[in-house]
Amino acid sequence: MNSVSVLAAPEIHAPPVEFSQLAPMLIVFGAAIVGVLAEAFVARPARYAVQFPLALVGLAAAFCWTLWLGFSEKPQHAAADGAVAVDGPTLFIQGTILVLAMLSLLLIAERAQDAFTAQAAALPGSEAEQESMADGGIQTEIFPLTLFAVGGMMLFPAANDLLTMFVGLEVMSLPLYLLCGLARRRRLLSQEAAVKYFLLGAFSSAFFLYGTALLYGYAGSVRLSAISAALSRSGGSETLLLAGVALLSVGLLFKIGAVPFHPWKPDVYQGAPTPITALMASCTVVAAVGAALRVFYVAFETLRWDWRPMMWGVAILTMMVGAIVAITQTDIKRMLAYSSIAHGGFLLTGIVATSESGLSATLFYLAAYGFTTVGAFAIVTMVRDTTGEAGHLGRWAGLGRRSPVIAGIFAFFLLAFAGIPLTSGFTGKFAVFQAAADGGAVPLVIVGVLSSAIAAFFYVRVIVVMFFSEPEPDAPSVVTTATTATAVALGLTATVVLGVLPQPMLDLAGQAATQLFVR
Amino acid sequence: MNYVILSAILFTIGALGVLIRRNAIVVFMCVELMLNAANLAFVSFARMSGNLDGQVIAFFVMVVAAAEVVVGLAIIMTIFRSRRSSSVDDANLLKY
Amino acid sequence: MTAQEIVFLLLGVVTVGSAVLVVTTRRLVHAALWLVVSFGALAGSYLVLTAEFVAWAQVLIYVGAVVVLLLFGVMLTEAPIGRSDALDSGNRWAALAIATATAGVLVTVVVRGFKDAYLPPRPGGGTAGVIGSSVFRGWVLPLEVLSLLLLATLVGAIVLSRTDVVREPSDDHDDHDDHGDPADHGDHDGQGRGDA
Repeated sequence: MNSVSVLAAPEIHAPPVEFSQLAPMLIVFGAAIVGVLAEAFVARPARYAVQFPLALVGLAAAFCWTLWLGFSEKPQHAAADGAVAVDGPTLFIQGTILVLAMLSLLLIAERAQDAFTAQAAALPGSEAEQESMADGGIQTEIFPLTLFAVGGMMLFPAANDLLTMFVGLEVMSLPLYLLCGLARRRRLLSQEAAVKYFLLGAFSSAFFLYGTALLYGYAGSVRLSAISAALSRSGGSETLLLAGVALLSVGLLFKIGAVPFHPWKPDVYQGAPTPITALMASCTVVAAVGAALRVFYVAFETLRWDWRPMMWGVAILTMMVGAIVAITQTDIKRMLAYSSIAHGGFLLTGIVATSESGLSATLFYLAAYGFTTVGAFAIVTMVRDTTGEAGHLGRWAGLGRRSPVIAGIFAFFLLAFAGIPLTSGFTGKFAVFQAAADGGAVPLVIVGVLSSAIAAFFYVRVIVVMFFSEPEPDAPSVVTTATTATAVALGLTATVVLGVLPQPMLDLAGQAATQLFVR
Repeated sequence: MNYVILSAILFTIGALGVLIRRNAIVVFMCVELMLNAANLAFVSFARMSGNLDGQVIAFFVMVVAAAEVVVGLAIIMTIFRSRRSSSVDDANLLKY
Repeated sequence: MTAQEIVFLLLGVVTVGSAVLVVTTRRLVHAALWLVVSFGALAGSYLVLTAEFVAWAQVLIYVGAVVVLLLFGVMLTEAPIGRSDALDSGNRWAALAIATATAGVLVTVVVRGFKDAYLPPRPGGGTAGVIGSSVFRGWVLPLEVLSLLLLATLVGAIVLSRTDVVREPSDDHDDHDDHGDPADHGDHDGQGRGDA
């Protein structure tokens, strides 16, 4: 960079970059680059032993730094020339993403029951594939790719202008597209999921970009605060503005998986390797909701009477469609995907509230939902038969008799999804609905409660299948390994603690939300 | 202003193409058309508002698009080698 | 009609015409070639808009790299070179209706928003020097992240397409240097871009 700037024009001053505030992101990206170097210079058998601790330490160090930033009472402002806003909500979201990414990494690193193909380029069913599987090799590039995706996820909700947000979106998405296609079993399904995710993702990011272009035409800048300022002295190009908001929302809602833009979600969640599904279902949702919060709270706050009706419609549709279609699913991963769509609807209710309590409730919900999701997908990776994971719900029959502990924990996660009291799901839903009701969205709350009731039906159905039906003779067994068990235990602990003793976490979210967003 | 109208038309053609074409590579070309439409809008808005940000953004978008092409073609090639076809509608192992 | 308007009209017709052909042609290779025409005409438009640097970047990146990659993709997937009717899905009329409606809305929006916006062209507004100093004044962080994006993409593409990851696993554990070579090479590429 230095040499280029010297060549271009001598009068350029180095722009201020607050390295300390950007450090969590820089650490994650740095770990990813070191991981790439390790791919090049470490001998193949030793790579796994290098990559896994490296990634874990990188994420943990970034998390510690985020904590330090959050608890040292520094004046918080837009960093790196206004490209990134480091404020309360950003730090909360980044911290959540980092912890959830660590849990997902435990699943990704699972070696006893590899979820990833040993050689992505080998044809399914070919001799080369057999060979590479027999060799027990693993494609260790998944670790740096995961870290790149996590770095993008941290940048996406922190971006203070739409261009940085777009770059963050792409850094997050491109590695995920690739990771989706790397499943070890049912590889065609996995590759098709990658193609679908990629084509639809590229389509939606084109919408995001065109929305950005229209907003740039309206405000003369892509900085969120400048758009907000242009709005308050509004006049003239009102229609242009609304079209821009609509197109931008398409891009954001696609990543959340809200209903008109949801069809990719069940397919991709089913086809992708389950550890990657866990990463997407927790971290990507957190990042996308975080970015949507920032866009709608900072840039379009004064316009809320215009976008709220649209968001109402989307939230209602998302909650209902997610819950109703989930009933018909027979595959456990697809069912969880539709459940995640319904939860996206609940999160949108928090966005609609447009208030400080709405913001803190959404933040809490994100953390609570993320832990439960990773835990649930971790259990999905554990229930296996000879062909790999037992995806079909029928295969889960009688699991409660064969391995009562695992089935009990899974039942508990499902109850948390349904929002039964004394689980984190209840606290989160209660907080979000209360904020929405305070913001005057009572009908939305009624739909939300209705949707929760429908959802409870299919969660209970799974529990009934697990505990009250006879196991088949060749029923899948539960394979427990240290890393997966750790992920499940941490997810379970978080779900219980946030349900029984939610106050510290609620306070933290409330504290993060008090400053709202910096501009 | 004429340029913005041109970009709007181009964007629509691209979106239409994504919806009606079946071959993954052609669908991808149509996405590229949409990105180019956005670029044209950025550049002409930069001219109207008199600052350079739009042109810088257009440059950034090009780089991102190039990266997207690489990832996209890699994925499409992988699935083609497993299945000997790159038609989107054939991707039907995943059904509702 | 000024000369500028005539040039715009010509470029606009070429751009839209070739874009329509990309979407409707039944030959895969033709679609890619019409894409070249469309991108080229757009580069012309950028020049008229005094965005000199963007115009050349358009020629280099889109016409030069992206389309060539797409053609490689067409070639490697052994797509039919001649006419093939299987290129369209059945819902073309519904899609056409939606597209017309969308275009109508967008054009109205733009026309209403910018009825009287016009700035006289200023020559030299978008040279490489000006753009460069703008990038390094206001957009340093996105630029650096962009270099990471390129590195991640590169690694990902290698993962998906490199076939020599594990060859003859039993007897050649001693020549890892050989196998490490392609990754090594790829990594230098990534670093080079990261520095740029």
